[in-house]
Amino acid sequence: MVESAKLPYTNELGFYEMRFESIGGLGANLAGQILAEAMVLGQGLNGASFSSYGSEKKGSPIKSFVRLCAADREVRTSSPVERPHLLAIFHEALTGLDGTTEGLTSESTVVVNTTRTPAEMRDILQLPSGRIGVVDALGIAVQEKTRLNTAMLGAITQAAGFIDREVVRKTIADALSQRYPSLVEPNLRTFDRGYHELVLEDFAPDGKYDWIPFTRFVPALGYANVPLGGTIINPGNTILKDLSPSRQGFVPLFHRDECIDCGKCEMTCPDYCFVWEEGVDKRGRPAMVLQGIDYQHCKGCLKCVEICPVEALTMEREEPELVRRTSIELVGPPEALVAMERSKFHLYGEPESPGYWDKIS
Amino acid sequence: MRAQTTIPTMEEQEEERAIELVQKVDFKKGNEMAAIAARQINYHLMGYFPITPSTEIAEEVDEMYADGEHQIRMVPADGEHGAAGICYGATLGGGRVLNATSAQGLLYAMEQLPVQSGTRFPMVLNVVTRSVSGPLDIRGDHSDIMMALNTGWIILLARDPQVVYDMNIIAVRLGEHPEVRLPVIVASDGFFTSHQKRRVRYFQEARVVQEFVGLYWTPIHALDPHKPVTIGPYMNDPDLINNKYQLKQAMDAAERVLPQIFQEYGDLSGRYYPLVEQYCMEDAEVALFILNSAAETAKDAVDKLRAEGYKVGIISPNVIRPFPAEEIRKALERVKAVLIADRADSYGAHGGNMALEVKAALKDDPQSRTLCLARVYGLGGKDFYTEDAEELLRQALQAAQTGQVEIPFDYHGANPGHPDPKLEPLQPPISRENSTLGLTKVEVDEATGRPKVRVGTPRQLTAMPKRIAPGHGACPGCGIFPTLNQFLKGIEGPVVLPFQTGCGMVVTTAYPYSAHRVTYIHNLFQNGAATLSGLVEMYRERRRRGELPIEEELTFIMISGDGGMDIGMGPVIGTALRGHPMIILEYDNQGYMNTGNQLSYATPLGHATSTSHVGPAEVGKSFQHKDTAQIMAATHIPYVFTSVEGMGTDLVRKGAKAQWYVRNGGFVYGKVLSVCPLSWRYEERLGTEVVQAAVDCCFFPIYEVERGITTINYDPEERGKRIPAAEWLKMMGKTRHLTRPEHADILAAFEAEVERRWRRLKAMHEHPLL
Repeated sequence: MVESAKLPYTNELGFYEMRFESIGGLGANLAGQILAEAMVLGQGLNGASFSSYGSEKKGSPIKSFVRLCAADREVRTSSPVERPHLLAIFHEALTGLDGTTEGLTSESTVVVNTTRTPAEMRDILQLPSGRIGVVDALGIAVQEKTRLNTAMLGAITQAAGFIDREVVRKTIADALSQRYPSLVEPNLRTFDRGYHELVLEDFAPDGKYDWIPFTRFVPALGYANVPLGGTIINPGNTILKDLSPSRQGFVPLFHRDECIDCGKCEMTCPDYCFVWEEGVDKRGRPAMVLQGIDYQHCKGCLKCVEICPVEALTMEREEPELVRRTSIELVGPPEALVAMERSKFHLYGEPESPGYWDKIS
Repeated sequence: MRAQTTIPTMEEQEEERAIELVQKVDFKKGNEMAAIAARQINYHLMGYFPITPSTEIAEEVDEMYADGEHQIRMVPADGEHGAAGICYGATLGGGRVLNATSAQGLLYAMEQLPVQSGTRFPMVLNVVTRSVSGPLDIRGDHSDIMMALNTGWIILLARDPQVVYDMNIIAVRLGEHPEVRLPVIVASDGFFTSHQKRRVRYFQEARVVQEFVGLYWTPIHALDPHKPVTIGPYMNDPDLINNKYQLKQAMDAAERVLPQIFQEYGDLSGRYYPLVEQYCMEDAEVALFILNSAAETAKDAVDKLRAEGYKVGIISPNVIRPFPAEEIRKALERVKAVLIADRADSYGAHGGNMALEVKAALKDDPQSRTLCLARVYGLGGKDFYTEDAEELLRQALQAAQTGQVEIPFDYHGANPGHPDPKLEPLQPPISRENSTLGLTKVEVDEATGRPKVRVGTPRQLTAMPKRIAPGHGACPGCGIFPTLNQFLKGIEGPVVLPFQTGCGMVVTTAYPYSAHRVTYIHNLFQNGAATLSGLVEMYRERRRRGELPIEEELTFIMISGDGGMDIGMGPVIGTALRGHPMIILEYDNQGYMNTGNQLSYATPLGHATSTSHVGPAEVGKSFQHKDTAQIMAATHIPYVFTSVEGMGTDLVRKGAKAQWYVRNGGFVYGKVLSVCPLSWRYEERLGTEVVQAAVDCCFFPIYEVERGITTINYDPEERGKRIPAAEWLKMMGKTRHLTRPEHADILAAFEAEVERRWRRLKAMHEHPLL
């Protein structure tokens, strides 16, 4: 009989709960499943693992949940985790999205895939207190040629404090050994590096930030104010979305001096991010001229870099400064967008810059 | 050491039995448990069609098949109507049959269900419950299963992944019982149960399950030439009522034998199920009647209210057809107030179906004084928290305390929204002038009567306003959107864009967002062509009556994936034969990508998908790809074309030509091979190269058929660019296995088919009569 792991905290229903904030394709769901399976089958607990589901897509924000309790407790609830004891953020860009840090308390531990320090992360997340762990999961995965979810799993195992590392390692090995035996070793290495390279820091309450009490999200739209039948009367409103978290570390960079305005990038871009304006060609005749890239909607597929016949588009490691400096602003400053999202009335009113539709012609 | 003896002692026999009965503790989802039960039962056949959230059952069963873990014959259907037909036909053959579906799938199959029960052929259907469309919602509620109440099928409920396994085994015994002989649905909650991993137990040895269900027996089947039978005669009055009375008797029998089967299964597994599960009902004065996963959630609310001293409890049936009215009456005997919560409405009936049936059951007890409240909750998968259950129990408590039901029927959880909304268009509509660049030049060749179309350069074409806005949620590197962009650059003036269900619609219209700047319509997966033909004819009629301006000339383009062209093939052909002036543009990404990469008929031979795995017993898809362009050419419509992105302005030109044909009264179909980096498994940035390779190996020829005349627009052989198919296949994770020596036979069969179709096309190109 396995000795049951001791849960450091539990909620009123007896659960220790985790929420993983991620992007479809990064493997947060699988990480949650492996972790919960390890705890249930290997560490004498009961539990559940599931995700927020939509259609099968890569690049969109998803949440994955793990719920753990004593072995003799039943898991009855199937609703999402709202007040996580452990929050893991698989992609740093998610820190800017509404709802990512919702429901944290002074008991919570936060693990972030980032190259920043815990103190920097604390300020970005505006956490009043608690434990913050940082790990360069992407860097580890790139070096080990694996996926970052295994590195995050290592970091989460370390941060949680009650998880037996060997049990998780064994679960990873079992999950991979049948179909992908060659991936076992690199993944265990990735896991171990995540485990060891996590940097943890505790922050005592110092009055720098205040806790925002948890409230369940209630949409601004409801039966009394939307058109009948589900019709959308302000279509095209996806322009208000910020898709930059879909990118996985790389962006195309536009070099105006090299560009011959051939239009191939525009023909190949799935996200309609190339901004053209009427201008003049080299001989001074009226012609369309490429202005640049709208990074708010670019998902970083880099097809444009491949198709560009000259050196006008290059693949670069994404740096916030670089993107900020070179992006064609379409909807207005990102802060305005965040503010609109936060107000939960983001579908009402006009976009910030009225010239937007002229720019995308 | 054990003695060498041929006859084991009693003790040894018991020990062996105990070992055999060992149950494995595991951590699985509801869908996985349904698949494990299927593997152990070893059904003869599974006919299926993918639909979220039930699809994983077929995926899991297929994966286990590929690994040689069972012998269930897997038959991928062209739609749920077809799947239900396949299953019906298979049951006529005298074997065990499984199917799984949800929501629209159940409704599309529904016409088959009463035939299955009325002609008395048992089978098992897992309904992983999900909201029924209008608008489309893929999350879990009970609006689908409630539609099945009158089909004559037994309906067992499975509240968590463990019960999914148990009920799937029990279903076989129950349906095949000689006194019953009815098909059985096992209904579990979509996502809440189907996709949530829980601690579970199942028999280590499949033999235990097989012994429990026993050998399949049928009094009648269609495969015995020595005993010919007529199945499904034409039966009017006065006979049909007797057939239905037999069905009613079978339901009565099911109610009688189910407790015995539950008992027997309990003795075997240690898990005993009553007809109606009761939690804290011994002394309860107030009860919540609620089905499946939400009933589990509600138990936590009961514990909380009990701690506060309230005598509350939960009633939750494990079977709703037959409806255990007697047990429910008994459970409510001393209850002052019950709130019946339905996860579906029976619109206009003043309560969901369960509310109506519980009330009806109570009416049969003249002594009953129980007050009833009906509530609808959790529609469209809206989460049901412990607090929600608590609120519902408190409403019932109040009724019990006051002796009055203030609001007999209401919704719980509907949200009015913010009081002062201002929902206004964000952008001006695209004007006719803005979308008529004057770049398209059409000259009609006098000799052939065919149009010659010229379009601008890619640089000039950047001035065309996009009918779809950025910010849609497609995966990085998706092929659909360059395809749409290029095709629509060739279309001038106003457009109406209906989409069949698929990635393209899901990622552009997640409420309350829409990426479409022109009018967009979504109806059903399979019915876009019929829908659009109705819209086009209404447009023509209203213009004729002078109700709409003549000078506006709308162009109607239906967008479909290859999946939509499977399930919707019938309506598409019907629409083509009627010849409405409209365009169907298919983006073919070789599978049902929106639901997680299941095979479509367009998936080529040997390609790996989530329903055509690669393993010792199976190597990808088992049949060759569908040639939709040739099927459509055979309807003799004026214009059929194929194209891919990356072929210069070929797709723009074909868009312009399509519009010319439509403006001249014709129907147009075009097929574009469209990459899917997620499911094809290649690096996103390489999409254009991957489709180019598909073209250069002659798998996907670029051609058009105009009024029966075939023209190849790009001949890789003439250009000296032809590559072997293996060059294309090795670029993608879904096909790399085909380039390994052990699968040389499949590669050869694929190459031979590609070559045959290509040669045939070349002959058509060379000869005007072909």
